[in-house]
Amino acid sequence: MNKINPWFVAICIWSLAPLLWQLYTSFSTSEALTMPLSEVEKRWTFDNYIQILNAEPPFWRYLINSTILSLSTTIITLILSIPAAYSITKLPTFIANNFKRVLLSAALFPYVLLFLALLEVARKLNIGNNLLALSIPYSALSIPLAVLLISSAFNDLPDGLDEAARLEGLNLFQRFRYILVPLIRPAVASTSILVFIFSWNEYPIALTWLSKENVLTLPVAIARIAGSSVYSVPYGAYAAATVLGSIPLLIVVMIFQKQIVSGLTKGAIKG
Amino acid sequence: MSLILNNIGRKVSRNWIIRNLNLRVENGQCLALLGPSGCGKSTTLRLIAGLDKPSEGSIILNDKDITSISPVDRKVGMVFQSYALFPHLSIAENLLLGLKIRGINLPEQQRRVSNILSLMQLEGYANRKPSDLSGGQRQRVALARALLREPMIYLLDEPMSNLDAQLREELRTELRRLILNKDKPVVYVTHDQHEAMAMANRIAVLRNGELEQIGSPEDLYHKPSSLFVATFIGRPQINQLTNENKIIKAIRPENIYLDDSGLECKLIYREWLGNNQLWLLNSPKGNLRMLCDASLSVPERIQISWSKNHEHLFNKYDGKRIY
Repeated sequence: MNKINPWFVAICIWSLAPLLWQLYTSFSTSEALTMPLSEVEKRWTFDNYIQILNAEPPFWRYLINSTILSLSTTIITLILSIPAAYSITKLPTFIANNFKRVLLSAALFPYVLLFLALLEVARKLNIGNNLLALSIPYSALSIPLAVLLISSAFNDLPDGLDEAARLEGLNLFQRFRYILVPLIRPAVASTSILVFIFSWNEYPIALTWLSKENVLTLPVAIARIAGSSVYSVPYGAYAAATVLGSIPLLIVVMIFQKQIVSGLTKGAIKG
Repeated sequence: MSLILNNIGRKVSRNWIIRNLNLRVENGQCLALLGPSGCGKSTTLRLIAGLDKPSEGSIILNDKDITSISPVDRKVGMVFQSYALFPHLSIAENLLLGLKIRGINLPEQQRRVSNILSLMQLEGYANRKPSDLSGGQRQRVALARALLREPMIYLLDEPMSNLDAQLREELRTELRRLILNKDKPVVYVTHDQHEAMAMANRIAVLRNGELEQIGSPEDLYHKPSSLFVATFIGRPQINQLTNENKIIKAIRPENIYLDDSGLECKLIYREWLGNNQLWLLNSPKGNLRMLCDASLSVPERIQISWSKNHEHLFNKYDGKRIY
Protein backbone atom coordinates (compact mmCIF):
# COMPACT_ATOMS: atom_id res chain seq x y z
CA MET A 1 0.00 0.00 0.00
CA ASN A 2 3.02 2.26 0.31
CA LYS A 3 3.35 2.57 -3.41
CA ILE A 4 1.05 5.16 -4.89
CA ASN A 5 -1.18 3.67 -7.52
CA PRO A 6 -0.73 5.67 -10.76
CA TRP A 7 -4.38 5.11 -11.62
CA PHE A 8 -5.36 6.70 -8.36
CA VAL A 9 -3.26 9.76 -9.21
CA ALA A 10 -4.73 9.89 -12.71
CA ILE A 11 -8.28 9.76 -11.35
CA CYS A 12 -7.51 12.45 -8.79
CA ILE A 13 -6.12 14.75 -11.47
CA TRP A 14 -9.01 13.96 -13.75
CA SER A 15 -11.63 14.84 -11.18
CA LEU A 16 -9.89 17.63 -9.30
CA ALA A 17 -8.37 19.53 -12.21
CA PRO A 18 -11.55 21.37 -13.24
CA LEU A 19 -12.15 22.43 -9.63
CA LEU A 20 -8.59 23.66 -9.20
CA TRP A 21 -8.78 25.51 -12.50
CA GLN A 22 -11.96 27.17 -11.33
CA LEU A 23 -10.29 28.17 -8.08
CA TYR A 24 -7.29 29.53 -9.98
CA THR A 25 -9.51 31.50 -12.33
CA SER A 26 -11.50 33.01 -9.47
CA PHE A 27 -8.37 34.58 -7.99
CA SER A 28 -6.95 35.80 -11.30
CA THR A 29 -7.29 39.25 -12.81
CA SER A 30 -8.89 39.36 -16.21
CA GLU A 31 -5.56 40.34 -17.77
CA ALA A 32 -3.98 37.23 -16.29
CA LEU A 33 -6.68 35.18 -17.98
CA THR A 34 -6.59 36.81 -21.38
CA MET A 35 -2.99 37.96 -21.93
CA PRO A 36 0.37 36.20 -21.99
CA LEU A 37 1.59 35.98 -18.37
CA SER A 38 4.82 37.87 -19.10
CA GLU A 39 2.88 41.04 -19.94
CA VAL A 40 0.62 40.91 -16.88
CA GLU A 41 1.38 43.37 -14.12
CA LYS A 42 -1.12 42.23 -11.51
CA ARG A 43 -1.74 38.52 -11.49
CA TRP A 44 -3.70 37.73 -8.33
CA THR A 45 -6.78 39.55 -7.07
CA PHE A 46 -9.81 39.34 -4.79
CA ASP A 47 -11.73 41.68 -7.10
CA ASN A 48 -13.90 38.89 -8.52
CA TYR A 49 -15.17 38.00 -5.07
CA ILE A 50 -15.56 41.62 -4.09
CA GLN A 51 -17.52 42.29 -7.26
CA ILE A 52 -20.09 39.54 -6.75
CA LEU A 53 -20.42 40.05 -3.02
CA ASN A 54 -21.02 43.78 -3.48
CA ALA A 55 -23.53 43.43 -6.27
CA GLU A 56 -27.14 44.33 -5.60
CA PRO A 57 -28.58 42.07 -4.26
CA PRO A 58 -25.35 40.59 -2.87
CA PHE A 59 -24.34 37.10 -3.82
CA TRP A 60 -25.10 35.48 -0.47
CA ARG A 61 -28.76 36.22 -1.13
CA TYR A 62 -28.69 33.60 -3.93
CA LEU A 63 -26.83 31.15 -1.74
CA ILE A 64 -29.59 31.47 0.83
CA ASN A 65 -32.28 31.14 -1.85
CA SER A 66 -30.75 27.99 -3.24
CA THR A 67 -30.23 26.52 0.22
CA ILE A 68 -33.85 27.13 1.21
CA LEU A 69 -35.12 25.71 -2.06
CA SER A 70 -32.88 22.62 -2.00
CA LEU A 71 -33.65 21.89 1.63
CA SER A 72 -37.39 22.19 1.16
CA THR A 73 -37.23 20.02 -1.96
CA THR A 74 -35.23 17.37 -0.13
CA ILE A 75 -37.60 17.37 2.84
CA ILE A 76 -40.74 17.19 0.71
CA THR A 77 -39.23 14.43 -1.41
CA LEU A 78 -38.27 12.34 1.62
CA ILE A 79 -41.61 12.81 3.36
CA LEU A 80 -43.44 11.59 0.29
CA SER A 81 -40.97 8.95 -0.89
CA ILE A 82 -40.35 6.99 2.31
CA PRO A 83 -43.99 5.93 2.86
CA ALA A 84 -44.42 5.31 -0.87
CA ALA A 85 -41.32 3.14 -0.98
CA TYR A 86 -42.47 1.21 2.08
CA SER A 87 -45.89 0.54 0.59
CA ILE A 88 -44.34 -0.75 -2.62
CA THR A 89 -42.46 -3.39 -0.66
CA LYS A 90 -45.77 -4.58 0.78
CA LEU A 91 -47.42 -5.06 -2.62
CA PRO A 92 -47.55 -8.41 -4.40
CA THR A 93 -44.36 -8.85 -6.44
CA PHE A 94 -46.05 -8.60 -9.81
CA ILE A 95 -47.73 -5.27 -9.07
CA ALA A 96 -44.65 -3.91 -7.29
CA ASN A 97 -42.46 -4.71 -10.29
CA ASN A 98 -44.80 -2.91 -12.65
CA PHE A 99 -44.88 0.06 -10.30
CA LYS A 100 -41.11 0.15 -10.33
CA ARG A 101 -41.05 0.03 -14.12
CA VAL A 102 -43.35 3.03 -14.29
CA LEU A 103 -41.21 4.87 -11.74
CA LEU A 104 -38.07 4.06 -13.66
CA SER A 105 -39.48 5.43 -16.90
CA ALA A 106 -40.52 8.57 -15.03
CA ALA A 107 -37.04 8.87 -13.54
CA LEU A 108 -35.44 8.47 -16.96
CA PHE A 109 -37.73 10.99 -18.68
CA PRO A 110 -35.77 14.01 -19.98
CA TYR A 111 -37.32 16.63 -17.75
CA VAL A 112 -36.13 19.55 -19.90
CA LEU A 113 -39.02 18.67 -22.20
CA LEU A 114 -41.38 19.66 -19.41
CA PHE A 115 -40.24 23.17 -18.64
CA LEU A 116 -42.54 24.98 -21.07
CA ALA A 117 -45.56 23.08 -19.80
CA LEU A 118 -44.47 23.78 -16.24
CA LEU A 119 -44.16 27.45 -17.02
CA GLU A 120 -47.75 27.36 -18.20
CA VAL A 121 -48.77 25.72 -14.93
CA ALA A 122 -46.90 28.34 -12.94
CA ARG A 123 -48.62 31.10 -14.82
CA LYS A 124 -52.10 29.58 -14.37
CA LEU A 125 -51.62 29.04 -10.65
CA ASN A 126 -49.82 32.33 -10.26
CA ILE A 127 -46.86 30.80 -8.46
CA GLY A 128 -44.10 32.19 -10.67
CA ASN A 129 -41.44 34.14 -8.77
CA ASN A 130 -42.28 32.20 -5.63
CA LEU A 131 -39.13 30.46 -4.48
CA LEU A 132 -40.75 27.75 -2.36
CA ALA A 133 -43.30 26.93 -5.05
CA LEU A 134 -40.39 25.79 -7.19
CA SER A 135 -39.85 22.89 -4.83
CA ILE A 136 -43.13 21.39 -6.07
CA PRO A 137 -41.85 20.54 -9.57
CA TYR A 138 -38.40 19.74 -8.14
CA SER A 139 -39.87 17.21 -5.71
CA ALA A 140 -42.11 15.77 -8.40
CA LEU A 141 -39.07 15.23 -10.60
CA SER A 142 -37.00 13.72 -7.77
CA ILE A 143 -39.60 11.41 -6.27
CA PRO A 144 -39.46 8.57 -8.83
CA LEU A 145 -35.74 7.94 -8.31
CA ALA A 146 -36.01 8.53 -4.56
CA VAL A 147 -38.80 5.95 -4.24
CA LEU A 148 -36.78 3.40 -6.19
CA LEU A 149 -33.66 3.90 -4.08
CA ILE A 150 -35.47 3.82 -0.77
CA SER A 151 -37.68 0.87 -1.62
CA SER A 152 -34.64 -1.20 -2.48
CA ALA A 153 -33.26 -0.31 0.94
CA PHE A 154 -36.51 -1.47 2.56
CA ASN A 155 -36.29 -4.68 0.56
CA ASP A 156 -32.80 -5.34 1.90
CA LEU A 157 -33.93 -5.16 5.52
CA PRO A 158 -33.85 -8.57 7.17
CA ASP A 159 -37.17 -10.41 7.37
CA GLY A 160 -39.22 -10.12 10.47
CA LEU A 161 -37.99 -6.77 11.82
CA ASP A 162 -41.09 -4.90 10.76
CA GLU A 163 -43.29 -7.71 11.98
CA ALA A 164 -41.47 -8.04 15.27
CA ALA A 165 -42.05 -4.33 15.76
CA ARG A 166 -45.73 -4.77 14.95
CA LEU A 167 -46.01 -7.49 17.57
CA GLU A 168 -44.27 -5.18 20.04
CA GLY A 169 -47.22 -2.86 19.59
CA LEU A 170 -45.64 -0.17 17.42
CA ASN A 171 -48.05 1.45 15.02
CA LEU A 172 -47.02 2.38 11.50
CA PHE A 173 -45.73 5.82 12.45
CA GLN A 174 -43.80 4.46 15.43
CA ARG A 175 -42.26 1.77 13.26
CA PHE A 176 -41.02 4.41 10.84
CA ARG A 177 -39.76 6.53 13.68
CA TYR A 178 -37.98 3.90 15.79
CA ILE A 179 -37.16 1.03 13.44
CA LEU A 180 -37.49 1.52 9.72
CA VAL A 181 -36.04 4.95 9.02
CA PRO A 182 -33.05 4.54 11.37
CA LEU A 183 -32.24 1.29 9.60
CA ILE A 184 -32.36 2.71 6.09
CA ARG A 185 -30.45 5.86 7.03
CA PRO A 186 -27.63 5.22 4.54
CA ALA A 187 -30.13 5.05 1.67
CA VAL A 188 -31.94 8.13 2.95
CA ALA A 189 -28.64 10.00 3.13
CA SER A 190 -27.57 9.14 -0.41
CA THR A 191 -31.03 9.93 -1.76
CA SER A 192 -30.95 13.28 0.03
CA ILE A 193 -27.63 14.14 -1.57
CA LEU A 194 -28.92 13.33 -5.03
CA VAL A 195 -32.06 15.38 -4.56
CA PHE A 196 -30.20 18.27 -2.96
CA ILE A 197 -27.65 18.42 -5.78
CA PHE A 198 -30.38 18.21 -8.40
CA SER A 199 -32.26 21.19 -6.97
CA TRP A 200 -29.03 23.09 -6.38
CA ASN A 201 -27.98 22.76 -10.01
CA GLU A 202 -31.33 22.89 -11.76
CA TYR A 203 -31.43 25.63 -14.41
CA PRO A 204 -34.20 25.59 -17.07
CA ILE A 205 -37.21 25.50 -14.74
CA ALA A 206 -35.70 28.05 -12.37
CA LEU A 207 -34.86 30.28 -15.29
CA THR A 208 -38.44 30.30 -16.52
CA TRP A 209 -40.21 30.44 -13.15
CA LEU A 210 -38.10 33.11 -11.51
CA SER A 211 -37.43 36.58 -12.81
CA LYS A 212 -37.36 38.92 -9.79
CA GLU A 213 -33.77 39.67 -8.73
CA ASN A 214 -34.16 38.75 -5.08
CA VAL A 215 -35.68 35.26 -5.56
CA LEU A 216 -33.21 33.91 -8.10
CA THR A 217 -31.37 30.67 -7.46
CA LEU A 218 -27.62 30.31 -7.89
CA PRO A 219 -27.45 28.90 -11.42
CA VAL A 220 -29.77 31.59 -12.75
CA ALA A 221 -27.98 34.33 -10.83
CA ILE A 222 -24.57 33.23 -12.06
CA ALA A 223 -25.77 33.34 -15.64
CA ARG A 224 -26.85 36.93 -15.09
CA ILE A 225 -23.47 38.21 -13.91
CA ALA A 226 -22.49 40.92 -16.33
CA GLY A 227 -19.07 41.96 -17.50
CA SER A 228 -17.69 45.49 -17.58
CA SER A 229 -18.88 45.83 -21.16
CA VAL A 230 -21.17 43.92 -23.47
CA TYR A 231 -18.13 42.50 -25.26
CA SER A 232 -16.25 41.14 -22.28
CA VAL A 233 -16.98 37.86 -20.55
CA PRO A 234 -16.48 38.06 -16.75
CA TYR A 235 -14.64 34.73 -16.41
CA GLY A 236 -13.23 35.63 -13.01
CA ALA A 237 -16.61 36.55 -11.57
CA TYR A 238 -18.20 33.37 -12.94
CA ALA A 239 -15.44 31.34 -11.37
CA ALA A 240 -15.76 33.13 -8.02
CA ALA A 241 -19.51 32.56 -8.03
CA THR A 242 -19.04 28.89 -8.86
CA VAL A 243 -16.52 28.46 -6.06
CA LEU A 244 -18.81 30.09 -3.51
CA GLY A 245 -21.75 28.11 -4.86
CA SER A 246 -19.92 24.81 -4.47
CA ILE A 247 -18.99 25.28 -0.84
CA PRO A 248 -22.45 24.53 0.66
CA LEU A 249 -22.69 21.50 -1.61
CA LEU A 250 -19.35 20.22 -0.37
CA ILE A 251 -20.47 20.69 3.21
CA VAL A 252 -23.70 18.76 2.61
CA VAL A 253 -21.89 15.91 0.91
CA MET A 254 -19.35 15.72 3.73
CA ILE A 255 -22.03 15.58 6.41
CA PHE A 256 -23.94 12.79 4.71
CA GLN A 257 -20.89 10.90 3.51
CA LYS A 258 -19.91 10.24 7.10
CA GLN A 259 -23.33 8.70 7.69
CA ILE A 260 -23.16 6.54 4.60
CA VAL A 261 -19.73 5.22 5.44
CA SER A 262 -20.61 4.56 9.08
CA GLY A 263 -23.76 2.78 7.98
CA LEU A 264 -21.80 0.53 5.67
CA THR A 265 -18.99 -0.33 8.05
CA LYS A 266 -20.99 -0.88 11.21
CA GLY A 267 -23.11 -3.57 9.58
CA ALA A 268 -26.26 -1.76 10.64
CA ILE A 269 -28.26 -3.72 8.11
CA LYS A 270 -27.04 -7.23 8.79
CA GLY A 271 -27.82 -8.12 12.39
CA MET B 1 -58.60 -21.96 28.00
CA SER B 2 -56.96 -22.93 24.76
CA LEU B 3 -56.14 -22.07 21.20
CA ILE B 4 -58.44 -23.44 18.52
CA LEU B 5 -58.00 -23.20 14.76
CA ASN B 6 -61.30 -23.78 13.01
CA ASN B 7 -61.05 -24.91 9.42
CA ILE B 8 -58.34 -22.35 8.66
CA GLY B 9 -57.29 -21.69 5.09
CA ARG B 10 -55.12 -19.13 3.39
CA LYS B 11 -55.03 -18.44 -0.31
CA VAL B 12 -52.40 -16.34 -2.04
CA SER B 13 -53.41 -15.39 -5.58
CA ARG B 14 -54.91 -18.72 -6.65
CA ASN B 15 -52.94 -21.12 -4.51
CA TRP B 16 -53.99 -22.46 -1.17
CA ILE B 17 -50.95 -22.22 1.09
CA ILE B 18 -52.86 -23.93 3.81
CA ARG B 19 -56.32 -25.45 3.84
CA ASN B 20 -58.89 -27.15 6.07
CA LEU B 21 -56.68 -26.93 9.10
CA ASN B 22 -58.22 -27.80 12.45
CA LEU B 23 -56.02 -27.69 15.51
CA ARG B 24 -56.48 -27.37 19.22
CA VAL B 25 -53.78 -26.55 21.74
CA GLU B 26 -54.60 -26.61 25.44
CA ASN B 27 -52.98 -24.33 27.97
CA GLY B 28 -49.63 -25.68 29.07
CA GLN B 29 -49.42 -27.87 26.00
CA CYS B 30 -46.81 -27.60 23.30
CA LEU B 31 -47.89 -28.39 19.78
CA ALA B 32 -45.16 -28.80 17.18
CA LEU B 33 -45.97 -28.01 13.56
CA LEU B 34 -43.67 -30.27 11.61
CA GLY B 35 -43.09 -30.58 7.91
CA PRO B 36 -40.72 -29.90 5.04
CA SER B 37 -40.21 -26.34 3.85
CA GLY B 38 -43.20 -24.98 1.99
CA CYS B 39 -45.68 -27.18 3.83
CA GLY B 40 -47.45 -24.18 5.37
CA LYS B 41 -46.22 -24.47 8.94
CA SER B 42 -44.79 -20.94 9.13
CA THR B 43 -47.89 -19.57 7.44
CA THR B 44 -50.02 -21.20 10.13
CA LEU B 45 -47.93 -19.50 12.80
CA ARG B 46 -48.25 -16.13 11.07
CA LEU B 47 -52.00 -16.59 10.91
CA ILE B 48 -52.13 -17.26 14.63
CA ALA B 49 -49.94 -14.21 15.29
CA GLY B 50 -52.17 -12.07 13.08
CA LEU B 51 -49.36 -11.12 10.70
CA ASP B 52 -51.40 -12.60 7.85
CA LYS B 53 -55.16 -12.86 7.49
CA PRO B 54 -56.82 -16.22 6.91
CA SER B 55 -58.94 -16.54 3.77
CA GLU B 56 -61.38 -18.76 5.60
CA GLY B 57 -62.00 -20.22 9.03
CA SER B 58 -61.60 -18.73 12.48
CA ILE B 59 -59.08 -18.62 15.29
CA ILE B 60 -60.29 -18.83 18.87
CA LEU B 61 -58.07 -17.99 21.82
CA ASN B 62 -59.46 -18.50 25.30
CA ASP B 63 -63.06 -18.63 24.01
CA LYS B 64 -62.62 -15.35 22.14
CA ASP B 65 -62.66 -15.10 18.36
CA ILE B 66 -59.42 -13.33 17.46
CA THR B 67 -59.58 -13.86 13.69
CA SER B 68 -59.86 -10.19 12.87
CA ILE B 69 -58.03 -8.73 15.86
CA SER B 70 -54.74 -6.90 15.31
CA PRO B 71 -51.48 -8.68 16.20
CA VAL B 72 -50.84 -6.40 19.20
CA ASP B 73 -54.17 -7.10 20.85
CA ARG B 74 -53.72 -10.84 20.50
CA LYS B 75 -50.89 -10.67 23.01
CA VAL B 76 -48.74 -13.25 21.30
CA GLY B 77 -45.13 -13.86 22.25
CA MET B 78 -43.43 -14.75 19.02
CA VAL B 79 -39.84 -15.76 18.48
CA PHE B 80 -38.64 -15.48 14.91
CA GLN B 81 -36.24 -17.81 13.17
CA SER B 82 -34.02 -14.83 12.34
CA TYR B 83 -34.42 -13.53 15.94
CA ALA B 84 -35.57 -10.20 14.41
CA LEU B 85 -33.71 -8.12 16.96
CA PHE B 86 -33.47 -4.46 16.04
CA PRO B 87 -29.83 -4.15 14.94
CA HIS B 88 -29.46 -0.43 15.65
CA LEU B 89 -30.64 -0.69 19.26
CA SER B 90 -28.76 -2.09 22.23
CA ILE B 91 -30.06 -5.21 23.97
CA ALA B 92 -31.68 -3.12 26.70
CA GLU B 93 -33.26 -0.79 24.14
CA ASN B 94 -34.54 -3.78 22.20
CA LEU B 95 -36.31 -4.99 25.31
CA LEU B 96 -37.45 -1.55 26.49
CA LEU B 97 -39.02 -0.46 23.22
CA GLY B 98 -42.19 -2.53 23.58
CA LEU B 99 -42.64 -1.54 27.24
CA LYS B 100 -42.22 2.12 26.35
CA ILE B 101 -44.80 1.86 23.57
CA ARG B 102 -47.24 0.17 25.91
CA GLY B 103 -46.93 3.12 28.26
CA ILE B 104 -45.38 1.40 31.24
CA ASN B 105 -43.70 3.86 33.59
CA LEU B 106 -39.96 4.27 33.54
CA PRO B 107 -38.89 2.65 36.84
CA GLU B 108 -41.16 -0.32 36.07
CA GLN B 109 -39.60 -0.64 32.60
CA GLN B 110 -36.11 -0.70 34.11
CA ARG B 111 -37.12 -3.21 36.75
CA ARG B 112 -38.69 -5.64 34.29
CA VAL B 113 -35.80 -5.45 31.86
CA SER B 114 -33.15 -6.04 34.52
CA ASN B 115 -35.23 -8.94 35.87
CA ILE B 116 -35.52 -10.58 32.50
CA LEU B 117 -31.82 -10.02 31.76
CA SER B 118 -30.83 -11.82 34.92
CA LEU B 119 -33.36 -14.58 34.23
CA MET B 120 -31.70 -15.04 30.84
CA GLN B 121 -28.18 -14.73 32.27
CA LEU B 122 -27.53 -11.75 30.02
CA GLU B 123 -26.77 -9.15 32.72
CA GLY B 124 -23.51 -7.96 31.22
CA TYR B 125 -24.95 -7.45 27.78
CA ALA B 126 -27.51 -4.69 28.31
CA ASN B 127 -25.53 -2.09 26.41
CA ARG B 128 -24.21 -4.31 23.64
CA LYS B 129 -25.62 -4.36 20.15
CA PRO B 130 -27.19 -7.57 18.81
CA SER B 131 -24.27 -7.92 16.37
CA ASP B 132 -21.89 -8.28 19.35
CA LEU B 133 -23.76 -11.33 20.64
CA SER B 134 -23.47 -14.98 19.70
CA GLY B 135 -26.37 -16.80 18.05
CA GLY B 136 -27.45 -18.43 21.29
CA GLN B 137 -27.37 -15.12 23.17
CA ARG B 138 -29.38 -13.40 20.45
CA GLN B 139 -31.94 -16.14 20.64
CA ARG B 140 -32.19 -15.65 24.38
CA VAL B 141 -32.76 -11.93 23.86
CA ALA B 142 -35.51 -12.73 21.38
CA LEU B 143 -37.02 -15.04 23.95
CA ALA B 144 -36.74 -12.36 26.62
CA ARG B 145 -38.56 -9.92 24.39
CA ALA B 146 -41.38 -12.42 23.90
CA LEU B 147 -41.58 -13.04 27.66
CA LEU B 148 -41.76 -9.31 28.43
CA ARG B 149 -44.92 -9.11 26.38
CA GLU B 150 -46.64 -11.31 29.00
CA PRO B 151 -48.34 -13.15 26.18
CA MET B 152 -51.44 -15.32 26.20
CA ILE B 153 -49.76 -17.72 23.81
CA TYR B 154 -46.20 -18.47 22.68
CA LEU B 155 -45.32 -18.90 19.02
CA LEU B 156 -41.86 -20.18 18.20
CA ASP B 157 -40.79 -20.18 14.55
CA GLU B 158 -37.84 -22.52 14.11
CA PRO B 159 -36.24 -21.01 17.19
CA MET B 160 -33.13 -23.15 17.04
CA SER B 161 -32.47 -23.68 13.36
CA ASN B 162 -29.60 -21.19 13.29
CA LEU B 163 -27.79 -22.67 16.27
CA ASP B 164 -25.23 -25.44 16.48
CA ALA B 165 -26.05 -28.77 18.07
CA GLN B 166 -24.64 -28.10 21.53
CA LEU B 167 -26.41 -24.75 21.86
CA ARG B 168 -29.67 -26.40 20.87
CA GLU B 169 -29.39 -28.80 23.78
CA GLU B 170 -28.82 -25.89 26.14
CA LEU B 171 -31.59 -23.78 24.73
CA ARG B 172 -34.05 -26.67 24.93
CA THR B 173 -33.54 -26.77 28.67
CA GLU B 174 -33.99 -23.01 28.76
CA LEU B 175 -37.20 -23.19 26.73
CA ARG B 176 -38.62 -25.85 29.01
CA ARG B 177 -37.80 -23.77 32.06
CA LEU B 178 -39.25 -20.52 30.70
CA ILE B 179 -42.06 -21.29 28.33
CA LEU B 180 -43.27 -24.87 28.38
CA ASN B 181 -45.48 -25.98 31.25
CA LYS B 182 -46.37 -22.36 31.93
CA ASP B 183 -50.11 -22.80 31.54
CA LYS B 184 -50.09 -21.09 28.16
CA PRO B 185 -50.47 -22.77 24.80
CA VAL B 186 -47.20 -23.05 22.85
CA VAL B 187 -46.99 -23.56 19.10
CA TYR B 188 -43.58 -24.62 17.92
CA VAL B 189 -42.69 -24.68 14.24
CA THR B 190 -39.81 -26.86 13.15
CA HIS B 191 -38.63 -28.99 10.28
CA ASP B 192 -36.55 -31.11 12.64
CA GLN B 193 -38.46 -34.21 13.70
CA HIS B 194 -36.02 -34.85 16.51
CA GLU B 195 -36.65 -31.42 18.01
CA ALA B 196 -40.40 -31.80 17.60
CA MET B 197 -40.40 -35.10 19.45
CA ALA B 198 -38.18 -33.73 22.19
CA MET B 199 -40.19 -30.58 22.87
CA ALA B 200 -43.82 -31.20 22.02
CA ASN B 201 -46.70 -32.99 23.69
CA ARG B 202 -48.33 -33.30 20.33
CA ILE B 203 -47.05 -33.05 16.78
CA ALA B 204 -48.99 -31.98 13.71
CA VAL B 205 -47.34 -33.10 10.50
CA LEU B 206 -48.18 -30.82 7.59
CA ARG B 207 -47.74 -31.59 3.94
CA ASN B 208 -48.59 -29.28 1.04
CA GLY B 209 -50.74 -27.13 3.29
CA GLU B 210 -52.82 -29.94 4.71
CA LEU B 211 -52.72 -31.78 7.97
CA GLU B 212 -51.24 -35.21 7.40
CA GLN B 213 -51.43 -36.48 10.96
CA ILE B 214 -51.70 -35.13 14.45
CA GLY B 215 -50.89 -37.01 17.62
CA SER B 216 -48.43 -37.62 20.40
CA PRO B 217 -44.81 -38.26 19.38
CA GLU B 218 -45.32 -41.94 20.28
CA ASP B 219 -48.40 -42.20 18.07
CA LEU B 220 -46.62 -40.70 15.13
CA TYR B 221 -43.65 -42.94 15.61
CA HIS B 222 -45.44 -46.20 16.14
CA LYS B 223 -48.55 -45.64 14.08
CA PRO B 224 -47.75 -43.24 11.24
CA SER B 225 -50.91 -42.64 9.24
CA SER B 226 -49.05 -42.45 5.97
CA LEU B 227 -45.75 -43.30 4.36
CA PHE B 228 -44.93 -39.59 4.39
CA VAL B 229 -45.18 -39.39 8.16
CA ALA B 230 -43.32 -42.67 8.55
CA THR B 231 -40.36 -41.41 6.51
CA PHE B 232 -40.44 -37.96 8.09
CA ILE B 233 -40.35 -39.19 11.66
CA GLY B 234 -37.64 -41.41 13.09
CA ARG B 235 -33.94 -41.46 12.29
CA PRO B 236 -32.31 -43.43 10.77
CA GLN B 237 -35.12 -43.35 8.27
CA ILE B 238 -37.64 -46.16 8.02
CA ASN B 239 -36.92 -48.84 5.40
CA GLN B 240 -39.28 -49.22 2.49
CA LEU B 241 -39.30 -52.75 1.17
CA THR B 242 -39.71 -53.49 -2.49
CA ASN B 243 -43.42 -53.41 -2.86
CA GLU B 244 -45.60 -56.45 -3.17
CA ASN B 245 -48.82 -55.95 -5.10
CA LYS B 246 -50.29 -52.59 -4.17
CA ILE B 247 -48.72 -52.42 -0.77
CA ILE B 248 -45.55 -50.81 0.52
CA LYS B 249 -44.11 -52.51 3.55
CA ALA B 250 -41.97 -50.43 5.85
CA ILE B 251 -39.84 -51.45 8.79
CA ARG B 252 -37.89 -49.30 11.23
CA PRO B 253 -34.11 -49.91 11.31
CA GLU B 254 -34.15 -50.76 15.03
CA ASN B 255 -36.74 -53.52 14.53
CA ILE B 256 -34.40 -55.53 12.35
CA TYR B 257 -32.26 -58.20 14.06
CA LEU B 258 -29.82 -60.92 13.13
CA ASP B 259 -31.45 -64.30 12.63
CA ASP B 260 -29.83 -67.47 11.27
CA SER B 261 -32.98 -68.43 9.41
CA GLY B 262 -33.58 -64.96 7.97
CA LEU B 263 -32.93 -63.03 4.80
CA GLU B 264 -29.35 -63.19 3.55
CA CYS B 265 -27.67 -59.79 2.98
CA LYS B 266 -24.40 -58.18 2.09
CA LEU B 267 -22.96 -55.32 4.14
CA ILE B 268 -22.45 -52.10 2.14
CA TYR B 269 -21.20 -49.89 4.93
CA ARG B 270 -21.16 -49.50 8.63
CA GLU B 271 -21.67 -46.30 10.56
CA TRP B 272 -20.66 -46.15 14.16
CA LEU B 273 -22.99 -43.86 16.14
CA GLY B 274 -21.50 -44.21 19.64
CA ASN B 275 -24.15 -46.04 21.61
CA ASN B 276 -25.21 -48.07 18.58
CA GLN B 277 -24.29 -48.62 14.96
CA LEU B 278 -26.00 -48.46 11.63
CA TRP B 279 -25.48 -51.07 8.94
CA LEU B 280 -26.54 -50.49 5.41
CA LEU B 281 -27.35 -53.89 3.94
CA ASN B 282 -28.01 -55.04 0.44
CA SER B 283 -30.84 -57.55 0.61
CA PRO B 284 -33.02 -59.25 -2.02
CA LYS B 285 -35.72 -56.76 -0.99
CA GLY B 286 -33.55 -53.73 -1.63
CA ASN B 287 -31.16 -51.77 0.55
CA LEU B 288 -32.02 -51.86 4.24
CA ARG B 289 -30.83 -49.82 7.21
CA MET B 290 -30.34 -51.81 10.37
CA LEU B 291 -29.70 -50.29 13.76
CA CYS B 292 -27.94 -52.55 16.25
CA ASP B 293 -25.87 -52.58 19.39
CA ALA B 294 -22.50 -50.87 19.19
CA SER B 295 -20.70 -53.95 20.47
CA LEU B 296 -22.09 -56.23 17.76
CA SER B 297 -19.41 -57.41 15.34
CA VAL B 298 -20.23 -58.20 11.74
CA PRO B 299 -20.77 -61.95 11.31
CA GLU B 300 -19.48 -63.87 8.29
CA ARG B 301 -22.95 -64.41 6.91
CA ILE B 302 -25.46 -61.71 7.63
CA GLN B 303 -28.98 -62.98 7.91
CA ILE B 304 -31.71 -60.71 9.18
CA SER B 305 -35.30 -60.90 10.19
CA TRP B 306 -38.01 -58.82 11.84
CA SER B 307 -41.29 -59.42 13.52
CA LYS B 308 -44.49 -59.09 11.52
CA ASN B 309 -45.85 -56.89 14.30
CA HIS B 310 -43.34 -54.21 13.49
CA GLU B 311 -44.21 -53.98 9.83
CA HIS B 312 -46.07 -50.88 8.68
CA LEU B 313 -48.21 -51.38 5.61
CA PHE B 314 -49.08 -48.52 3.27
CA ASN B 315 -51.16 -48.23 0.16
CA LYS B 316 -48.83 -47.84 -2.80
CA TYR B 317 -51.04 -45.25 -4.53
CA ASP B 318 -52.00 -42.77 -1.87
CA GLY B 319 -49.43 -43.70 0.77
CA LYS B 320 -52.10 -44.15 3.43
CA ARG B 321 -51.68 -46.67 6.20
CA ILE B 322 -53.41 -49.97 5.69
CA TYR B 323 -52.38 -51.64 8.87
